[in-house]
Amino acid sequence: MRFRSVLVANRGEIAVRVVRACRELGIRSIAVYSTADRDAVLGRLGDEQVHIGPAPARRSYLNAAALIEAAVQRGAEAVHPGYGFLSEDPDFAAACADNDLTFVGPPPEVISRFGDKAAARTAMAEAGLPILPGTGTAVEEDEARAAADRIGYPVIIKAVAGGGGRGMEIVTEPGAFAAAYRRTRDTARALFGDDRVCLERFLTAAHHIEVQVLCDEHGNAVHLGLRDCSAQRRRQKLVEESPSPVVSPELADRITAAALRGARAAGYRGAGTFEFLLDPASRDFYFMEANCRIQVEHPVTEMVTGVDLVREQLLIAAGQPLSIRQEDVRPRGVAVECRINAEDPDHGFAPAPGPLVEFVPPGGPFVRVDTHAYPGMTVTPHYDSLIAKVICWGPDRDTALDRMDRALAELRVAGPGVRTTTGFLRELIAHPLFRKGLHTTSLVDRVVAERGPQPPGAHP
Amino acid sequence: MNDQESPLDQLRNTAAMLFELAPHTPSRIRLRSGDASIEVHWPQAGPAPATAPATAPAPAPPLVTEEAADDTLVAVRAPLLGTFYRSPAPEAPPFVTPGDKVEKGQQIGIVESMKLMNPVESAVAGTVVEVLVADAAPVEFDQVLLTVTTAGAGDGCAEVFPGGRS
Repeated sequence: MRFRSVLVANRGEIAVRVVRACRELGIRSIAVYSTADRDAVLGRLGDEQVHIGPAPARRSYLNAAALIEAAVQRGAEAVHPGYGFLSEDPDFAAACADNDLTFVGPPPEVISRFGDKAAARTAMAEAGLPILPGTGTAVEEDEARAAADRIGYPVIIKAVAGGGGRGMEIVTEPGAFAAAYRRTRDTARALFGDDRVCLERFLTAAHHIEVQVLCDEHGNAVHLGLRDCSAQRRRQKLVEESPSPVVSPELADRITAAALRGARAAGYRGAGTFEFLLDPASRDFYFMEANCRIQVEHPVTEMVTGVDLVREQLLIAAGQPLSIRQEDVRPRGVAVECRINAEDPDHGFAPAPGPLVEFVPPGGPFVRVDTHAYPGMTVTPHYDSLIAKVICWGPDRDTALDRMDRALAELRVAGPGVRTTTGFLRELIAHPLFRKGLHTTSLVDRVVAERGPQPPGAHP
Repeated sequence: MNDQESPLDQLRNTAAMLFELAPHTPSRIRLRSGDASIEVHWPQAGPAPATAPATAPAPAPPLVTEEAADDTLVAVRAPLLGTFYRSPAPEAPPFVTPGDKVEKGQQIGIVESMKLMNPVESAVAGTVVEVLVADAAPVEFDQVLLTVTTAGAGDGCAEVFPGGRS
């Protein structure tokens, strides 16, 4: 069966992406919007639109009651949560089920397990996945300090309930441990309402490698290869690509096999991502976390495999078996994605929202742009700063990167107060280390430093 | 002047129709052709209400004429998405009907969301002009449920405003 109607419980480019998948499947899509997004959504996105609340996300896109009420009111059969917001909230997934709505994602108990970093570490270690030395469960300060000494510095302190790069702190020497430990707990309590933390060895420079998986409820599970997301700033990804330029086919097989082992052990269902850190020196890899949702960077996998991941999500959620077997997944070429954010790279990547007087996306062969933006739209300061994703494919990495540089040169975004990361991204992908594919998670900080000191008044 | 009926003529004709329907002879008539609005005032029977607050909430539609500080049409909007109920219980009479006086803070309906009954109150004192949503109908956040006129002392007010209301 297929759903007849789906409520898209998100905003921005991912809402556009989900609506497109629905259209191609003949599914009626119901978009939601906050007051801040009214002009951008009303009459523009989906087959219907519902005003769910005022601008603050807490009262609109994070308001589970309003979203479920809207879904019931409009007769939706399923709810697609996109990424961020309520996409990995087990209570929201459970509330959907309680109201006879299918949540497009894994079962609530799977989301819960992966949402707890300590529990996920333990479960994946039991499934035989390699994990970094660390503590599996939340620990008190004395115990934590002893564990840090045993693990060896630098260590990273992570909020058990954290995610999205928030609620983490790196400690490079024992003298700084106590303060960092207390700060992380305070942050975790404030951000997540849960001050438990766990520890892990920190790899100063590593490759961020992740595996896309698809699992159905009939016991089928496939992987769709690797993505390399090593170009990060403060654990926020800027550029992603598939496959990884640093992973040999033999190593890739081992990493994808580990991800599938973890997915099966967890009873995973839907589209998911298993993230790993790869030590550039030893070539050892370690499970980091699993994300129970579609990811921002999913298009690079789509471009090399030809598999529409959002379509598969919708079909899996409707109870259909996977449309592909592992042997059908034959990645071809290289795809790269750049995230265009309304941020000012010359001022510490501070948000730079405002009205878009000009918005001209790039085009041409093997260029894909996922965006909700259009000339006249205002980038609101209420939500994240992503305004477009530019994805380029090439038969090899050099061609894909040349194409990306050309595409970014074509992209025109302008308006009062609006700045974007476009120029910075062009510098980043032209950097010799990036160009050779040797970059690690430390590259972006280095490029930022090489750009020279920021002018006075810059935000740290 | 030409032979075609101007917008002002149309307004005048509409106003004339309203006079027929009004219970008393109007005390004041205001026509505008710019935004095509008509206001008809008539003297009110009974004691004059207390002075009404003159402020209107920010998102109110452009229904207010430039000098109409004391007889403003104010929208009461859904505070959240859900199902609108006009009565406290299925068999009970509605909280308010057109023509009823309401006090500031008086309950005019209920929006049910996730099985929770959320009272809806009028932010102003005045007279209910029109209820725009049927009982038990679904409503979105911020949708206009009913309109209240914040009557000036001794006055009632009715307005006609083509378009612009949904």
